[in-house]
Amino acid sequence: MARASSTSHGQMAILGKGAHLRGRIAGDGDLRVEGVISGDVALKGHLTVESGAEIVADVEARSVIVDGAIEGDIAAIESVAIRAGARVSGAIRGSSISIEEGANVSGRIDADFELPPELGGKTSR
Amino acid sequence: MANTVIAQGITIEGELTSDEEVVIQGTLRGKLVSKDAVNVESGAVVEADIAASSLSVGGQITGNVTASDRVDLMPGGRLIGDVKASRLTIADGASFKGNVDMDV
Repeated sequence: MARASSTSHGQMAILGKGAHLRGRIAGDGDLRVEGVISGDVALKGHLTVESGAEIVADVEARSVIVDGAIEGDIAAIESVAIRAGARVSGAIRGSSISIEEGANVSGRIDADFELPPELGGKTSR
Repeated sequence: MANTVIAQGITIEGELTSDEEVVIQGTLRGKLVSKDAVNVESGAVVEADIAASSLSVGGQITGNVTASDRVDLMPGGRLIGDVKASRLTIADGASFKGNVDMDV
């Protein structure tokens, strides 16, 4: 339940409830989405998609927490956390991925980790 | 409480609509429509037409603005574009180039 709270870089940007963005959003800082975005999101900071929020596009961030809905691919450098009640359809990529019970996920999951040699096969031979 | 903040370092390209107050400290290109107030703070860069209930300009706007209530150009604010609002104030130190339509 670790929440991305301490924002080392700049102030938190918020797309509030009742806000609708058709277009791209990019930047260095963190973003909390409570409204609707139809357009790509590319952040260097943390992305939080609150319950009731919706993103219809690909998403790229340092880490992603989803309580709402994302229809598109998610790519994170660090962790991706899909909370209970979230709805995600699209490929998910991150160094660590967690999905809570009750979440609705459809798509490929791609977590970077080292396979043990007996499963990886190629490295040992 | 839950309004929209486009923080410094954030760039939006597209059309943003909101039922609530919008605060811009970063960059916005495109179009902005808000049913509530819009506050373009010092350091913000907006290249967009804006429609809002009221608009406060402390940053830089290039585009036409329409407000159902009022437009306030703050010291250091810069607006290049036409203003349509029933009330308009231009503070000492603000820059403005454009036409004003006060809807009389």
